[in-house]
This record gives sequence, structure tokens and C-alpha cells, in this order.
Amino acid sequence: MSRRNARRLRDFFLNAVTYLSSTVSLVALVAILLFIFGKGYKLLNFDLVVENFESQGFVADFYPGFETCGCVAEIDLPEGSYYSEKWGIALSDSTDLLGKTVVEVDYVHPDSPFAYLRDKGIGSEPIPLRTDYDIIRIAFETAPTALSRYGAANMIASLDASDSIREIEFETKGGGIRGSILTTLVLIGLTLLFALPIGVGAAVYLNEYAAVGRFSKLLRSFIETLTGVPSIIYGLMGLAVFVPLTVRLTGATGGNLISGAMTLAVILMPVIIRTTEESLKVVPDDFRQASLALGASKTQTTFKVVLPSALPGIMTAVLLAIGRIIGESAALVFAIGTTIKDDVSLTGKSTSLAVHIWAMMTDEPANVELSATIAIIIVVIVVTLNILIKLITNRYLKKRLGVGA
Amino acid sequence: MTGQDIVATMKNTAASRRVDHLAKGVFLAAALISASFIFLIAGIVLFRGFIPFLSDNGGLGRVDLFHFLTADVWLIGQTFVSNLYGVGYLILSTLFITTLSLLISFPVGVLTALFIAKVAPAPLAKILRTVIETLASIPSIVFGLFGAGVILKLVYDFSMAIGYQSKGGNSILATVLVLALMTIPTITSISEVAIRSVDKTLEHGSLALGASKTQTNFKVILAAAKSGIFTAAILGVGRSLGEATAVSLVAGGRRSGVSFDLLDTTGTLTTMMLEGLKETTGLDYDIRFSVGLVLMAVILITNLALNAVKRRVGSVHVKA
Repeated sequence: MSRRNARRLRDFFLNAVTYLSSTVSLVALVAILLFIFGKGYKLLNFDLVVENFESQGFVADFYPGFETCGCVAEIDLPEGSYYSEKWGIALSDSTDLLGKTVVEVDYVHPDSPFAYLRDKGIGSEPIPLRTDYDIIRIAFETAPTALSRYGAANMIASLDASDSIREIEFETKGGGIRGSILTTLVLIGLTLLFALPIGVGAAVYLNEYAAVGRFSKLLRSFIETLTGVPSIIYGLMGLAVFVPLTVRLTGATGGNLISGAMTLAVILMPVIIRTTEESLKVVPDDFRQASLALGASKTQTTFKVVLPSALPGIMTAVLLAIGRIIGESAALVFAIGTTIKDDVSLTGKSTSLAVHIWAMMTDEPANVELSATIAIIIVVIVVTLNILIKLITNRYLKKRLGVGA
Repeated sequence: MTGQDIVATMKNTAASRRVDHLAKGVFLAAALISASFIFLIAGIVLFRGFIPFLSDNGGLGRVDLFHFLTADVWLIGQTFVSNLYGVGYLILSTLFITTLSLLISFPVGVLTALFIAKVAPAPLAKILRTVIETLASIPSIVFGLFGAGVILKLVYDFSMAIGYQSKGGNSILATVLVLALMTIPTITSISEVAIRSVDKTLEHGSLALGASKTQTNFKVILAAAKSGIFTAAILGVGRSLGEATAVSLVAGGRRSGVSFDLLDTTGTLTTMMLEGLKETTGLDYDIRFSVGLVLMAVILITNLALNAVKRRVGSVHVKA
């Protein structure tokens, strides 16, 4: 009896260990999600996606014949904000991403002269002051210049005491990720352009044309070996092969989007080939034989019967590829570089979202908030892709089973 | 069918046969290109990696291969003297970190797989499988960010609590934890497949002999799935050895001396390759390929060794 109890106790203990082990993954996933959403949700808004990363500085003044407005604020101003009725703007003290004290614009009345500034540089372009811009200084004709480090209250007081300004220096907010989002999209498009024809072609050869034997087995094992190569090694290859190649063929001066996409294409090759081949395998042989019996050539059969039937599988390959491209960092650090840029061109050096995180985290000081915001975007996309892949696979399987029955 | 028709049909057939040949050629070319990339990678890394050992590096002198492999100091300061490069300590700490992370991720991963496949009630297993899939799909840079934002802080607080001066939490411990978290989903999903494919008759036999469900799980099923579970471990090790960006955010970039102190900073082959990417020519550029070459050699040797062990351990062969 006691031996039985001992066994029960041991079984209970062993089962408890499996329960405990499984909670590790659950806790890890919840912790990661809590962390990135907790740190990143504050910066997550539409402006982030459309704005530049580099903040841009401007020196501006009023158009001749401006009028002070004496307007009443149309919105409830946040606490700690100083409003000037005479000029129609509200300012408050704030700190920027680097922890420097700045004066932030909270509100600009539509009739305020600050809503009609012109650039003092070349061309006198109109450059209106907007909410969230940081004011660096306001210089007056007679009064001393109001600097941001004296605070928002001083700046408003100086403004109220004057009837005009000589010039105002301010900078746009920056910290946006438009450039990196665009780069990631361009990379996805280019990489698929390189990888899909070769990958699908190779899969078609291996599954439709190659005789079962040593040759095709050898080809397959060479392709499979690629999966074991760490991505940093792919980066080295991109750096040594594709970067010089693109520099020679295009106007690029160093790592660029084309060399990055080529490197990614090689990384994705085994994934695309394997997924496509799996979907080719489940196309019933009846289809092929029926097509050939009707007089279609082998080529016609491949393009008009086999490939269309395998389309869901190829779609899955594309979605898997997109997920991998979005997440890839180490290879791109070498194959493109880590320069965060706002102007995106094929031969330029702008970088993807994942490398954007790495570049900011290895910088001093690390920008954890913006990194977490980008991580939210990446994780949401990757999880959505996963769900889509599951949906496609499930529907496809059901349909196939239906055909079989 | 008139004679003309027959001629036309024959012409058509000939044309379509030419198209077929052409198509086959194109598909074959695609397959050959895909298969050749592995040689391109191996070739270029071998070629570029050996340059520092064979040339005089633009006047800096030839790097001594033996010194490079055994030295415990990586270039300190800005003097570009070739024999200041050494990766011996990096090889050791890379292997040390990988072993420690496997010590965590292997038991946790395998037990999670057993739980999902055999122990958990169906709804719970479904949830956990989704959790594992999601965790597996999270890119490594996000794990790195999590490590830098959360694990570094935990390690720092812990070391402060025991009175240890930590460098912001950058440590072996933090690196090991990040790598363990990243490899758990890999090990779990592959082990689960192995556990599921164990022959049902083995399980039934064990139960019929009076063993409890739990005893069967641990003594029969895990033993029978040994080979697949070992494969999972090998893949996990491969991922740990090659991981770069996530590790570089928590390791601390140690430049000399191997340290086995869990709270001390560390460096791996990959983190050293990521450091100082400014140079585009010269020894400082070429030496990265040498480190890459060492990394590939380490991965290859580890893989061969583990596979040899796997064959030794063997799998339980049961005729159904």
C-alpha cells in the first residue's frame, strides 16, 4: 500500500514538473508582450508612421503685415501649459527623447500669426508652426532672446511684452519611422521579386521534372544545408558578394536596398522551395495525367494546371517569407548597414524596422520606448501573418480532403 | 486529316517540344542556382577569412593563425597591430554560454513538449501550442529588446542585492537567459513531433504491464523519442551559437579574458563580428570574415560531435 502511495506521490511530482515547465513559455510570452506594449504604446500613433526620424530645424519669421490675434483658445489646454491670447499659442515645458529640457508647442490657434510663418532660408517657403514642435529660441528686435532653457513661462511672458519678433527657431519632432517602414516594404517587394521565381522554379524542377535519384537528392541536401547557416554568415556573404556587385552595376556607394534584398532572397530560398514543393506534392497526379491526355504539353500542364493548384502553398511561402524579412536583423546589419534614413531609394542605405531597433539599442543612450513601439508593429504583423498562414492551410487541407472523398 | 494538317500538327508538336525543353532548362537552372548558394557562402567566407593569415595585410604583417585562435585579447585601443586580434576567449565563452542556455532550455523544452503531447487536457494543449508557435515566430531582435529592457534590469537588481558591481546587468547570466527563451520554442516543437510519433503499441504495452500513465510518459515515451529529442537539442544549439543581434544587446562586449563568472560581462564570436562596422577595407574589415570562418567551424564541429553522440545514444527500434 505504501509503495503505491509512493508511486502516486512520484507521479504527482513528475506531472507537476511538466506543468511548471510549460508555464515558462507562457510567462515569457506574456512578459514580452506586456513589456513592449507597456513601453511602446505611448508613442504608437499615426504620426509616428508618417513622420521622419531626423528632426528638422527651421528659422522662420512672420510675413509682412501680420496681425497679433488676441484669440481665445478653442480647446482645453493641458495642465502646465502657458497660453498667450495675444499670439494665440500655448507652450509647455517638456523633455525630448534624449532627456533635454525643451519648450513644446501645445496649441496654435488657426488665426495666430505663428500659423503663417515663412522660412528665412532660400525660397521663403511657408512653414507653419505645429503642435508638438519644439521651440529652440524666439529672438526679438529689442528685448533679449527667449531661449528654451529659460522655460515656457518666460517665453510666453517675453512674447506678451513684445509686438513683433525678429525670428523664431524651432525643430520638428522627429523620431518617426516612415523611412524604415518604407524600406521594409521595398525590401519585401524586391526580395520576393528575386526569390520567388528562382525558389518556385527550383521546386517545380525538383518535384515535376527531376528523376528520383541521387542527383535530385544531392540538390535537395545542398538547399537544406542553407537552413543551418546563421543569418550573420549570410550577412558576410552579402557584404562580400552582393554589395560589390550592386556598387558596380548601380550608382550605389555601399550597402544598399538591392544588396540587402539579394541577401534576404538567399536566406529565404530553402523556405520557399520546401513550402512550394509540399504544395506541389499534394496536387493529385490525376490532374497532370488528365491535362497531358487532353493534348497539353508538359509546359502547359505545369503552368496551367499544376502551379494554379499549388497556389495556396505558394501563398503560404510568400507569407512565411514576409515574416522572415520583417524580423531579420543580423544579415541586414552587414548587407545594408545601420544608417536610419528618411529618404528611401533602391541604391540608398536606409534600413529596415528590425535593424532600426538594433541601431537605437546599441546607441547611447538606448531609445527603449521607440524600440518597443517598433517591436509592437513587428510582432503584430508577424502574428497576423501566422494566423493567415493557418487559415490558408486549413482551408486548403479541407478542400483537398473534399476532392479526395 | 489532309497532308497539310498533319504537317502543321507535326510542326506544332516540334515547337511545343522545344518549349518543353526550354522550360525544363529554366527550371533546372533555378534548382542549380538555389543549390549553389551554399558553396558561394562557404567559398567566400573561406576565401575572405584566410586573407589575414596569408597576406601581409597592407604592411601590418601576417596574422598568426595559432595566435588568433588561442589569444585571449581582442584588439584593444586604436593601434592596428595585426597580432592584437584573438578569438580564443570568444570561442570558449560562446561554447560556455551555449551549454548553459541548453541546460535551461533543454529540460524546459522537452517537458513542455511532453506536457502538450501527453499530459495536458486538450484545450490547454491547444492554447500552449499557440503560445509556443507565437514565441517561435517572434524575431530575435524583439527577444534582444526584451533582454535589454527587462532581463538586464533584473540581473542588475539581483547583483546589487548580493553586493556585486554589475556593468548595467550586461552579463553571462542575461545572455544565457535570452538564448534559453529563444531556443525553448524550437526544442519544444521538434520534441513534440518526436513524442507524438512514438509507436502507440509501446505505450499500451507499458500500461498493460501495470505502469502508471506518468511512468509510461517518462520511462517509455521519452526514451523512445530520444533520437528526435536529441535532434531538437542540436537545432537549439545551432541557433544559440549563431545568434547575433539579440546577444549583442545583453552581452556587454567583453574585449579580453575569458570569464566564467555569471554576473561578469561576456562576448561571443557573433557580438565581436557586429562591433565596429565602420571600416570597409583593410585588416579590420577582413578579420570579421576570419571570425565568421571560426564561427562556421565551431558550428560544424559541434554539429558533428553532437550527431556522433546521437548515433551512440541511438534510438529504440521497435518492430510494430
